[in-house]
Amino acid sequence: MNDLNASDTQTRMGTATSPFVVARDITKSFGGAKALKGVSIDIVPGEVHGLVGANGAGKSTLIKILAGLVHPDGGTLAIDGKPTAIETPHQATDLGMTFIHQELAFIPGMTVLQNIMLGIPKPTRFGMVDWRAIEREVAPIAARVGITAPLGASVKGLSTAENWLINICRALVRKARLIVMDEPTASLSASEAEKLFTIVRDLSASGVAVLYVSHRLDEILDLCGRVTVFRDGQSVGELSGNALTRQGLVEAIVGGVPLHHPPTRHAIAGSKVVLSVQNLARAPRVRGISFDLHEGEVLGLGGLVGAGRTELVRLIYGADASDHGIMTLDGKPFAPRTPHAAVKAGLGLVPEERRAEGLILTKSLAFNVSLANLRRIIVSPALPIINGRARTNLALDTIRALSIKTEGPETHVGRLSGGNQQKVVIGRWLQRAPRVLILDEPTRGVDVGARGEIHRLIRSLAEKGQAILVVSSEPDELPDVCDRVLVMAEGRIVRELAGDAVSRTAIVEASYAEDKHNQRKSA
Amino acid sequence: MSDLTLGSRHLSPGAKAALGAFARYGTIIGLLAMIAAFSILSPRAFPTLNNFTNVLNQASLAMIIAGGLTLAVIVGELDLSIGFAASFHGILVTGLIVQNDLPIPIAILLVVALGAFIGLVNGFIVTKMRVNSVIATLGVGTIITGAAFAYSAGVPIVSGVPEAFLQLSLGRWLFDIPNNIVIMVLVLGFLWLLVERTDIGQQIQAVGGNAAAARLAGINVDRVKTLGFVISGMCAALTGILLASRLGSGTTSAADSYLLTAFAAVFLGSATLRDGEFHILGTLVGALIIAIGFNGLNIFGAPTYSQYVFQGAILIVAVGMSSLGRVLAES
Repeated sequence: MNDLNASDTQTRMGTATSPFVVARDITKSFGGAKALKGVSIDIVPGEVHGLVGANGAGKSTLIKILAGLVHPDGGTLAIDGKPTAIETPHQATDLGMTFIHQELAFIPGMTVLQNIMLGIPKPTRFGMVDWRAIEREVAPIAARVGITAPLGASVKGLSTAENWLINICRALVRKARLIVMDEPTASLSASEAEKLFTIVRDLSASGVAVLYVSHRLDEILDLCGRVTVFRDGQSVGELSGNALTRQGLVEAIVGGVPLHHPPTRHAIAGSKVVLSVQNLARAPRVRGISFDLHEGEVLGLGGLVGAGRTELVRLIYGADASDHGIMTLDGKPFAPRTPHAAVKAGLGLVPEERRAEGLILTKSLAFNVSLANLRRIIVSPALPIINGRARTNLALDTIRALSIKTEGPETHVGRLSGGNQQKVVIGRWLQRAPRVLILDEPTRGVDVGARGEIHRLIRSLAEKGQAILVVSSEPDELPDVCDRVLVMAEGRIVRELAGDAVSRTAIVEASYAEDKHNQRKSA
Repeated sequence: MSDLTLGSRHLSPGAKAALGAFARYGTIIGLLAMIAAFSILSPRAFPTLNNFTNVLNQASLAMIIAGGLTLAVIVGELDLSIGFAASFHGILVTGLIVQNDLPIPIAILLVVALGAFIGLVNGFIVTKMRVNSVIATLGVGTIITGAAFAYSAGVPIVSGVPEAFLQLSLGRWLFDIPNNIVIMVLVLGFLWLLVERTDIGQQIQAVGGNAAAARLAGINVDRVKTLGFVISGMCAALTGILLASRLGSGTTSAADSYLLTAFAAVFLGSATLRDGEFHILGTLVGALIIAIGFNGLNIFGAPTYSQYVFQGAILIVAVGMSSLGRVLAES
């Protein structure tokens, strides 16, 4: 891997301007854990600089240092060539840096314009904020980044994509020189992502630097002139020019772990039906869905964001009430009115939003794993007191089975990396051995290494006969793990793919074909 | 540094550690400091076994009702009906004994069952009708106050209260320990075991930690929340009964002030040893601080109004320390 460090550092754009940000050998420890063991990065005006690395590699810590939220223990940081210590988020903003995170926060009752102007000094007229003057100033910028909603509209109900645009507009109004984007496309559809890429290129052309943090290597390759790779708190390489390839990135991120190969897909003919769904619906997102899930089958639900996949899964799991439809589980009628009933009947769900819906972040790993297994760790049904040793063993078992990286069973899950947190949620259900395991976006925000591990785990569970339903928006994920894929659009199943027909291209094609069809219809 | 606020992330590590220690151990240090100060200032009246037993005896009622409230707040709700309910329970239990000639144990059981029922109603309104718990329990509490006036016509039930009922609170049936203390230890011991060591307790903590995640993990969130209200209601009933026994009468509004004391104790408790998390042991410490504070004010002959000032101030300090602990834990 040494040759990576030696690779040429000229950018693709060949910029000769002096760097905006220069960080050298930055170190940072939290408690005893070294989050950064010495990372370096240069960001030049007008470049789109990629930052990649496994979860826990130190990307977010570096971003927090730039944002003034965390203070480095060692190393040097220079802005415009001047050594600078960024003490507060306020100072970071004054220096011209803006940060756009995965979780976007707006004030829901306010208008688009008010949210854009939050915290920015506003011109006044007769002592009152002169919104008309502001609108005149902001409107061209909003148009440039492609905000279609009227500035006077409420932000309530706007899509994630529009929220991103509002944030970018905000950065431009502040005259930002560097915009840091953390996993911008995590919850965008492919067409929305395309729009974002256009804007990123436009920003770059106008001299604004973008630090682009993403697990999606195709985007990185597409957008970035230079890419810095972090591994285990160190910068292990800066790739650009001809050295910047998918293979090169993956090797740098993983550091030599073999890549995952697509599975041999099993034909489901003849295997027993575990879950059967007939004409399940809940207006307006789910409009009559029917399918069978078989023993030992990994069934994928593909499609665009908003196609109704998560909503469908919530109906099956009893989290929302359906308008109509019939389900059977192992041949018996199955109509759960709550997740509690669904779990009792033999379902398990790994939800889409791990932190908001999957984990009790303030509690330990053992606590979170035991939540769905409490009956197993009590002394006896008559004396429902937790047996401490059984609880610890349950946790240790899970840590071992899923190779979770943690200090121990009593570590707070909030302190684990994204991949390890996800394994905790999966582990909770494995201990219970449900009849049907539902995984909604199982590897969102999870690093390449853990992603491969989770995929292998899904396959090996299926080998043992587990019936699995996987929802994923990542085009590569479903072909990697599924035996069969149902592509959804507008609340309906538009295509079923099985065997060799399961491919990234086929899934994407099916999702968009329907999309275009509908657009034409509505036009 | 004009935007420096408590718990913000750019405090120096030393200052953060000090704040963290204050948030976790501040209440215990405060308790010890108060004991030390009162002992020095009033060496004859304050630091005696007699006085301590007295303080604990007095505080037991508040500890029981605060212990119940702890369950309601752990599941993420507030129960404002407890003070009014306890007042009503006190009137009702004396009425059942004096006017309806019910045997004392039966009267007590009936009233505790009513406390559970009120909790059930609170739980139903909050989980099924989806009314915010502050409004729901304030409404239920007000209705209960009305019921109390209707039942007693506003006249305290004083005469004819049997000695045996008074002995429930005043007696010393076990090793010469006041009954109130024994009952308090049993109740809080049970609640501690329930929350910290049982499967139901894990569910209670999970619901409080993240209700959405608990629901998707298959926990019956509505049932767990209702259980929190039921326990809160039963503890309120117990406190009302013991108060009636101690006063020897059923009086309207007699237990209303326990609401504020219970909240102060619960929030002080959440700032004790854990980072803003509600727990039974903390509530016990919180109630002790308030009791000893009152005791000190009494010994020094402080005017009555100072008790209100003390209690209001301590509630604010308690909630402040509790959220400080949470903020520090998250950063």
